[in-house]
Amino acid sequence: MQRETDKIKFILNTDGILYIECLPNTVMTLEDGKLSTRLGAELVNGKPVPMLCDLTNVVKMTHDCRKHFSGPEHAEIFTKCALMVTSPLGRIIGNFFLGANKPLKPTRLFTNKDEAVKWLKDR
Amino acid sequence: MDGQDNEQRLSDILDMIGSMASLDFSRVLKISDRNDMIDAIALGLNMLSEELNAQMVARDTLDELNDRLEQFAHTTAHDLKSPLNNQSGLLMLLELTLKPEKDSDVETCINKLKLMNEKMKSLVEGILAYSVVQAREITKERIDLNELLREVMELDDVVGRADVVVEGTLPNIFYNKTSSIQIIRNLLDNAIKYSDKARCKIRISSKDLGKYYQITFKDNGPGIESKYHDKIFELFNKIEPSYKAGSVGVGLATVKRIVEAGGGRIWVESEQGKGASFHFTLPKHGESVETAKAMDD
Repeated sequence: MQRETDKIKFILNTDGILYIECLPNTVMTLEDGKLSTRLGAELVNGKPVPMLCDLTNVVKMTHDCRKHFSGPEHAEIFTKCALMVTSPLGRIIGNFFLGANKPLKPTRLFTNKDEAVKWLKDR
Repeated sequence: MDGQDNEQRLSDILDMIGSMASLDFSRVLKISDRNDMIDAIALGLNMLSEELNAQMVARDTLDELNDRLEQFAHTTAHDLKSPLNNQSGLLMLLELTLKPEKDSDVETCINKLKLMNEKMKSLVEGILAYSVVQAREITKERIDLNELLREVMELDDVVGRADVVVEGTLPNIFYNKTSSIQIIRNLLDNAIKYSDKARCKIRISSKDLGKYYQITFKDNGPGIESKYHDKIFELFNKIEPSYKAGSVGVGLATVKRIVEAGGGRIWVESEQGKGASFHFTLPKHGESVETAKAMDD
């Protein structure tokens, strides 16, 4: 199953993981964050799943948006979250989700997709 | 060209750090489309600046809320004082009118009411004393602690209730007199109130720590379990013996507040059954006058 906005692509794969990818030079605002939560919720249909979010193409994420992603509404769609951080900007943004904007569910940073998927599949 | 450009980007980053250090979070660094390390540093600083600004705003809001709550507590306590005093008078009048027989139900009820009223009055007075600490205008003066101790002991009839021994001579301090009285009064009162001995004994000593004086009030009371060593300084602490001793949990919190407002600290050393030593420090030198908003008591 797949959904798309003008910035983000959501894929709920057969492996049970929700994959999120952004288009190049994505700037994430609060509206994008809320839309992302809504589309994610529609895809998982009320049952939270592991989530892999690739931050490689994100060049900015506003404070409100980070706050939203670390809040209870967004936490309803995932059980744990692997953040792919392969670009310098993505790495910086990702680190904020380990402390200042820590989500309510387990979250880790990865530079290797296979390792991220392995961690997400670990019970 | 690139070198010059990078130098400018780094210079902007330095300016940004300077602004943040001076708590100016309005600056935002430009991010190029290179997605390189300098961009990452700039983005990180922008995000940190946003976070710090949000924290500062949250802290200011909390401070303002605390101030308002404190003002509310002060006003409420102040307004409760008068009806409680009236109530005491009425209880006395009731006792005189009814002239209850000794050990009768009426006498028991009146005594209980009087006790409850007195407890409520001490609570209200405690809240007032606590809330006024940081709001009062703090004028400091040279104080001979030995002389002040004698004054408090005389006023509060401490000699009739405890044996107080001063080891050596206490120092002269530069402090607010009302605050100093409150510290001495509350610490003496605390030792007497909790004493489980036929005669409460209190030893007062001092130590020169260089920039500070350390004053110690050591008693022969029941002592305090280590798990309560911090809790006893909290407002309205609910440690079980406090209820038995008729405490309202304001005295030590007030002392802590006064000591910390004056730049010192307070702590207790004690083992259960072996008495307690309350230590506090006072800076030797202070500003002659600290101006703060005055609050009508």
